[in-house]
Amino acid sequence: MEVKQGQTTDGPLETGIIDTDIHERVLYPDLVPYLDNPWRRYITDCGWVQEKHLPYTQPTVAGLNRADAALPDGRPAGSDLAFLRSQLLDELNIRYGILTGALDPSPSSMNGWHEMATALASAYNDYQIEHWLEKDSRLYGSVHIAAQDPQAAAREIDRVGPHPKMVQVLLPIDNIVWGDPYYHPIFAAAERNNLVIAMHHNEPAVYFGRFPRYFIEWHTLISTAHMMQVTSFVFNGVFEKFPNLKLLMIEAGFTYVPHLMRKMDQQYRDLRHEVPWIKRLPSEIVREHIRFTTQPMEEFSKAEFEQWLDLLGSEEMVCFSSDYPHWDFDHPVGGFPNMRDSLRQKIFHDNALALYPKLPQDHRR
Amino acid sequence: MQQVVCKLTELQPGELKEIQFGRISLVIGRTGAGELFAFSNRCIHQGAPLSKGKLCGTSAPTDLPGQYSYVKEGEVLRCPWHGREFDVTAGGQMMSDPRRALGRFQIFVAGEDVVVSTLNKPEKGEVADEQK
Ligand code: FES
Repeated sequence: MEVKQGQTTDGPLETGIIDTDIHERVLYPDLVPYLDNPWRRYITDCGWVQEKHLPYTQPTVAGLNRADAALPDGRPAGSDLAFLRSQLLDELNIRYGILTGALDPSPSSMNGWHEMATALASAYNDYQIEHWLEKDSRLYGSVHIAAQDPQAAAREIDRVGPHPKMVQVLLPIDNIVWGDPYYHPIFAAAERNNLVIAMHHNEPAVYFGRFPRYFIEWHTLISTAHMMQVTSFVFNGVFEKFPNLKLLMIEAGFTYVPHLMRKMDQQYRDLRHEVPWIKRLPSEIVREHIRFTTQPMEEFSKAEFEQWLDLLGSEEMVCFSSDYPHWDFDHPVGGFPNMRDSLRQKIFHDNALALYPKLPQDHRR
Repeated sequence: MQQVVCKLTELQPGELKEIQFGRISLVIGRTGAGELFAFSNRCIHQGAPLSKGKLCGTSAPTDLPGQYSYVKEGEVLRCPWHGREFDVTAGGQMMSDPRRALGRFQIFVAGEDVVVSTLNKPEKGEVADEQK
């Protein structure tokens, strides 16, 4: 298998690739200039750092990152735009890359102290715009919010959401499942700002609010955290109330989706009376409103991959994502089976273009 | 095809090196015990550059859940991306799936030089794995 620059499996893509999950890395000192006091002082004087949830940092040779993505001067992977440009955007011919950043600090997954989380989210958004979105025309961004305070989160979406390069609101997976009406102000703000909502796996507890003993168990079960969220969105009628809302589920892959759609349809046939605001099959709602990233990809033959899409009943629901620079990065050539040209075009480009109304909508460069 | 790639003194036990062999990039190295090995530098999973990985040991298979015993120090090549382990003393076999192995090259010492050459016959498993 020979990899040529800017190719997907089976050859180059004239449009280039849209990558829906790129992690730029921020360090606490980067955020300090964007914070007012007292928040700034809590970091500079008191050494405040966010608590971490995930009890594992060891999965592979360089922890949670690709070993070849650390900077030669020792700075962490994803922290330098020039390096990210050459290793990812140029090397893989990325036309548009959606930044999903903020994992540490991650204001959206903080427990308690909502005011600090809200301040951090604003600082992060301002930093992201100035240091990434306005420095490379290919990069588009996510509005980070402190969802613990939905009113403040909606104000933040209204503040930075209109920026031309902000294309989505990133929602944490946390202890209130997202179908809850508590979150409606956030959905309303996303909808009125023409933004997709997206959910990255972050650090969900997958065992009854806790973590399993081994990383391999947790990583295997990330899709269960996403299944809960998708089920909640669908049956709580979020898309009935916000009919223009589109959701991208990031970093749990897509192989769980045929099972979940089939299961929800069956339950709906039996139990529709409990959720009378749902007026069509759940699978139709999913097909219309929800998209799923490819990463982390299982290994597929060409035939197996097509079979899975057949089960989805649509070729338009799956969008390429690399998860650069994390250890479970997927390469657009090495990570994918061969596929028909028309399908390749959809997975690596067109499906994401159709999802994000704020991306320039021309199909040619 | 045969090519001198470096002096033996330039490749210490426990070290990994990327070298160009004709048009192919190879990862060569020496185990902790000094034994030489040479493989294609492209991981057979998704193509990561293996020379950016780690030469290390691993936890031995065991019948006892909860038991860790770190073995084979300096004999296991771990990929820099998804961390798959390849046993350099067993022809580059993938430790989690021994039917698969890295593309392997012959490597030997001639005087002070380290020499790499293609194997006479591809070993079982290699061809299938390289033609994804
Ligand atoms: S590319 Fe080597 S383990 Fe995935």
